[in-house]
Amino acid sequence: MRSQIPEFLLKRSNDSYGSPCTKGRTRGSRFFDRSLDHFAAFIKSTCIHWDGAQRQGLMQQLDPRVKLMFLFVFMAIISAKKTVMPEAAIGLFILILAGLSRLNLAAFYSKVLFLGFFFGFLVVLPSCLNLVSGGSVAWPLIHLSRQYEIWIYRIPQTIGITRQGLEGVLLITVRVINSLSLSFLIIHTTPFSEIIKALKALRVPDLFLMIITLSYKYIFVFAETVEDFHLARKSKVVEADASETRDWIAQRLAFLFRKTRAHCEKIYEAMLARGFSGDMVFGELHNMKSADIVAGAFMLVAGMCLILT
Amino acid sequence: MEEPILNVERVSYRYHDTIPALLNVSLSLKQGEKFALIGTNGSGKSTLLRVMSGLLLPDSGRIFFKGREVTERSLRQRGFLKFFRAGVGYIFQDPDVQLFSPTVLDELVFGPMQLGIPHVEALERAQAVIKMLHIEALTKRPPYMLSEGEKKKVAVGSVLTMNPEVLLLDEPTGGLDPRTQCFLTELIFELNEAGKTILVSTHDLTLVDELQPTVGVLSEEHTIERVGAADAILGDEDLLLRVNLIHEHMHYHGVLAHAHRHSHYLYHRH
Repeated sequence: MRSQIPEFLLKRSNDSYGSPCTKGRTRGSRFFDRSLDHFAAFIKSTCIHWDGAQRQGLMQQLDPRVKLMFLFVFMAIISAKKTVMPEAAIGLFILILAGLSRLNLAAFYSKVLFLGFFFGFLVVLPSCLNLVSGGSVAWPLIHLSRQYEIWIYRIPQTIGITRQGLEGVLLITVRVINSLSLSFLIIHTTPFSEIIKALKALRVPDLFLMIITLSYKYIFVFAETVEDFHLARKSKVVEADASETRDWIAQRLAFLFRKTRAHCEKIYEAMLARGFSGDMVFGELHNMKSADIVAGAFMLVAGMCLILT
Repeated sequence: MEEPILNVERVSYRYHDTIPALLNVSLSLKQGEKFALIGTNGSGKSTLLRVMSGLLLPDSGRIFFKGREVTERSLRQRGFLKFFRAGVGYIFQDPDVQLFSPTVLDELVFGPMQLGIPHVEALERAQAVIKMLHIEALTKRPPYMLSEGEKKKVAVGSVLTMNPEVLLLDEPTGGLDPRTQCFLTELIFELNEAGKTILVSTHDLTLVDELQPTVGVLSEEHTIERVGAADAILGDEDLLLRVNLIHEHMHYHGVLAHAHRHSHYLYHRH
């Protein structure tokens, strides 16, 4: 075999590539690299909540069925409220519960606000313009020579931000933030298996439970695979242009799709091999304690107060 | 004393800031050395290789390549990044994640092209490596149309075309058929004889016995338990038992059932 080792591998030529100098100007880390790094870390840190669920806090002590009922009732209240003040009160209530549950509030709210900014504020931001919804212009931006009518659309002479639009954006953003913080509060204080058992107790269909159980397990495999792809590429890439990066992403997406399909089939076969016949069977939840019933009643009263205000 | 080519000083790393993977690990690779990092699953072998290849940055501790510190800042300098990537090649345990080009040939020229080697020379290197690995029939195939053994060969080839001085191989023979395992073991030998510094992470004690490298033992507590010659490490059954690389179990010899220390590779003494 020795004779087959290529000539170039016998040379020590690496000093001719690059520079051993570690001082001097540096390039910024690429947006793409940062995004992939953060993506994998975000998925894992968002989904891994056993740390928070094991702390000795208020919400951790409660029965998961009570917590899920609390989640559903308060979600309905958050959606029903039409003004900002009650939404702010709900936000404050969730903040107090998160504090009493000994969660890391900075990490908790950084995730909530990050998602709230994208899926709340940015999505509805255009609606504050009088192009999208009517209202009195509080902040004129562009003045046209006249008003235009295009099909069913009307472009007013003065385009600007309306007071009603701003109120709408604020309300929807606060609603999204409240919904997210409420969901995260439950997720971070309840082990995933307990959530599934509680959903089963609340008569959620087995098919739905199976989908979320498998999705939850797959998301870690997915995040890890994405991270590995990234590291493997990073180990060889010195300078990548944008088109090469796009090609790589497209190729990896196709690969991931193939791998996911194969993985799904194998998991399903493994489930069948162990006697799965379509029914999800879980261990029993403990009986509710009087403290759970008191907490449930308190949350119900708090919910009623919020509905009446 | 000769300066180590790759040096790890008191490195610690935790996943998600909580789960320890490496605790205060120090390791030195000399130019042209064969080194095997052994430990059980989850002891931190792959993490250490990723840290050594500059893919993960340690929470604490330092990494040096040819006396230059490898940091987030130094890796952001194009010149140093090229110098480091040309010098240290990392072969992943799972070849699926490493092979991302449309065909095997594209895969083999990708690395050298990244280093700025002219396309003609990159192709020459790729052809030479194809011949060495006996994968002439695979050059136009996409990586997903390869068997596991073929994927592994291509993954090794894709790094060899960059001609790194240090090769970090993560479980190189894991999950492969005996023939491919034998081929890769011989290849590791030959590359080492050609002057490459080799670090292999494995829990395959047969591979350690065949390569006779310097051995570093990672404990289940994620620390370096001991570094020494292969003979000395493989001869220390208490150490191997302590780090769970061999075990005691009961089995039958004819009609006689008895328990003794057992590795599926080396130890089967009575």
